[in-house]
Amino acid sequence: MSTDNKSTETPFVFPKWVDDLRPLVGIVLGLAPVYIIVLVWFGLSPKTQNIGYSPEQPVPFSHAVHAGELGLDCRYCHNTVEISAHAAVPPTATCMGCHTAIKATSEKLEPVRASSESGMPVRWIRVHDLPDYVYFDHSAHLTAGVSCVECHGRVDRMERVHQVSELSMGWCLDCHRNPAPRLRPAELVTRLDWATEEDREALGARLMEENNINPRTDCSTCHR
Amino acid sequence: MVRKWTIWILISLGVLSLLPFALIARARTARTAEPRIHVFPDMDNQGRYKSQQVNRLFADTRAMRPPVEGTVARGQLQEDDHLYRGVRSGEWAAGFPMKIDREVMERGRERYDIHCSPCHGLAGYGDGIVARRADALQEGTWVQPSSLHTDLVRSRPSGHIFNTITNGIRNMPPYGFRVSVEDRWAVTAYVTALQLSQNAAIEDVPEQQRANVQEQ
Repeated sequence: MSTDNKSTETPFVFPKWVDDLRPLVGIVLGLAPVYIIVLVWFGLSPKTQNIGYSPEQPVPFSHAVHAGELGLDCRYCHNTVEISAHAAVPPTATCMGCHTAIKATSEKLEPVRASSESGMPVRWIRVHDLPDYVYFDHSAHLTAGVSCVECHGRVDRMERVHQVSELSMGWCLDCHRNPAPRLRPAELVTRLDWATEEDREALGARLMEENNINPRTDCSTCHR
Repeated sequence: MVRKWTIWILISLGVLSLLPFALIARARTARTAEPRIHVFPDMDNQGRYKSQQVNRLFADTRAMRPPVEGTVARGQLQEDDHLYRGVRSGEWAAGFPMKIDREVMERGRERYDIHCSPCHGLAGYGDGIVARRADALQEGTWVQPSSLHTDLVRSRPSGHIFNTITNGIRNMPPYGFRVSVEDRWAVTAYVTALQLSQNAAIEDVPEQQRANVQEQ
């Protein structure tokens, strides 16, 4: 084939030990598809990808202090959560309501004071972000009696907020198909430490009956 | 026949193949400051803005635009001085611009507990947990929140209390931008009830209930 003069030399022959590799190749090729499937299954799972996201915020705001230690109601700051789809991150004015007088010279609060002076918003980083084709509504869930804690976990114990839930479609559907164990009386939704001696399943079933709670599972419930 | 060194290759491949799983296990338990990698981007992030996102087209980078100054939405002229400003014929209004029933009162209690109790305390004595915390810090910049049970505050007409909630007073910040007008009136009603609860004479109790109260 080759035109150079080396072609006249001995042609290449696979050495004998290559034969020893044959069972090895068989084993590897046989296991490879299973291995890749398992790897993709676990590697791309929302449990791997989504849980644990905890971005560093421009201000080291501690929910553990504000919502935990001081016991401020979630709605003191996230005041739109009951009436709109979006649970608003509070404006700088809400922070400055207290922090003009408390820790007024704290270095950590410098970005908040700068924002208050300039009118430029503080660039908080969103932790819980659903895909743009999902239309989630906070107000609907709170009205039905789904507490903040069911999706966001014990935020009142978090120094820096991290994501505790998958926020995947399968995870949403788990609850939409069986909401009873995650329901509570609607006036207790922001009580993250609330517990009851009553069986949650039974309580939830009763609340569903009383308040006519029937979460839908058809596509257009969340996707429009 | 399988030779010894091929066994070793097999073992090392087996060990190496576990490495990705170790990384996955770590990703499942550790927290990360980095956002997730969208292996399949699907349409997770679309070319549109959601609430409170950044749009650098505008000087203040807000994608949500405040209405042009002076704009009035239909039905939002807020002509009703009593309802929106607590004023009636030039003076603080004494009554309420709506019917006060049990439902309004319960709503007022709930909103008071959320927005007012951190400073004023659940019973209104100015001893809320934020006030106590600020006191303990001894920074010198904190002014003790008012007790709602002083003669001065008791003498305030409801329109004045409503205005204080809306616009703040002295060191108290305004709440008008985050508590709706109906809720501010409900809180005003609840504050009035709270004041009465701490400063009631036996004559205020309906006659058939008096014996019951005196007993306690």
